[in-house]
Amino acid sequence: MKKQKIYIVVIIGLVTMLLVAVMFAQFKTIEETDITGIETARETELRTMLSSWKEKYEETAQRLTETQNTIDEYKRTIASNEESSEILDQELEQTNLLLGKTDVVGNGVIVTLTDNDVQTISADDLLVLVNELRLAGAEAISINDKRIVNMSEIVAVGDSILVNTERVTSPYVVKAIGDQTYLFSALSLKNSGFIDTHTSNGETVELVQQNNITIPAYSSSRELMSLNYAKEVEEE
Amino acid sequence: MMLFIAILIGCIVGALIGVNIPMIPYTYSGYLAIAIIAALDSVFGAISSSLQKKFDMKIFISGFFVNAILAMALTYLGQKLNVDIHLAAVVVFVGRMFNNLGTIRRYYVEKITDRKIIAKAEATIKESKKQ
Repeated sequence: MKKQKIYIVVIIGLVTMLLVAVMFAQFKTIEETDITGIETARETELRTMLSSWKEKYEETAQRLTETQNTIDEYKRTIASNEESSEILDQELEQTNLLLGKTDVVGNGVIVTLTDNDVQTISADDLLVLVNELRLAGAEAISINDKRIVNMSEIVAVGDSILVNTERVTSPYVVKAIGDQTYLFSALSLKNSGFIDTHTSNGETVELVQQNNITIPAYSSSRELMSLNYAKEVEEE
Repeated sequence: MMLFIAILIGCIVGALIGVNIPMIPYTYSGYLAIAIIAALDSVFGAISSSLQKKFDMKIFISGFFVNAILAMALTYLGQKLNVDIHLAAVVVFVGRMFNNLGTIRRYYVEKITDRKIIAKAEATIKESKKQ
């Protein structure tokens, strides 16, 4: 009887131990498991997750193809834009050259007018010279490194001469780039040319041909080419 | 007395083992939960039957293990068949646990009321003897 009782007690103790051990292991597992983690999710949860991800993937794939299509379109536009922008660049360069917004270099002539005891150089003389140079096909003109553009003025104010609203003084170095021989011959025509007529007046005028003349860009306090009043006529 | 000491030692050792055991994968924790429910049901069944003087060691031990293993097997089968058998097992076991708990409760309530009645009866007997 006594042996039987010990037997029962030991078995019940072992069973209790087993039950409590399994329960605590379960508690620990439940407590430490991250329920939101993929590894611990139940099969049904995984299935719903998988299907939703698949949907998302399909959506994203569709969006990807759409985006790639748009990218292709953009690329095509860019290619055509590049062509047009190259043309535009060229036009801009030419326009800048024409307007005098860039430094230019080339062959041409240099006319130096100096005040002497007999005659002082007047603004009219410079105007006439610039006019004749233009007639002879000068592409870029400067007076004492002041670029003559289509809005430049050469005007006498009191005793001084203003070019591009800045004072210039003797000696006046007029540089012109163009057809060298044509410019030279146009200015140095016998009797009627600029040099002859003005030297005969007693003015000191020198004309030289020179290669690689550098004429600087227009630079003035007045802003270049800002038209406030003249507007383009709108075509219908 | 020995029995309580055995249960206490079993609890302490079991808790220590359970805390130090390597973690069980979450997928198997469902089976383990069912096994625990089945085992607890057996324990309550054993208590109630021992109160009714019908406790049998063999039945308790066999019920403890076989119920747990059967519950796990049924859960596995349910997963294979795509039927939530573990829910049925939980319902059955928890229902039985409540039944057993009810039996235990009723036993103690009756015991207390019996004692009072006996005490009252004894008091009346004593008084009648005095008279």
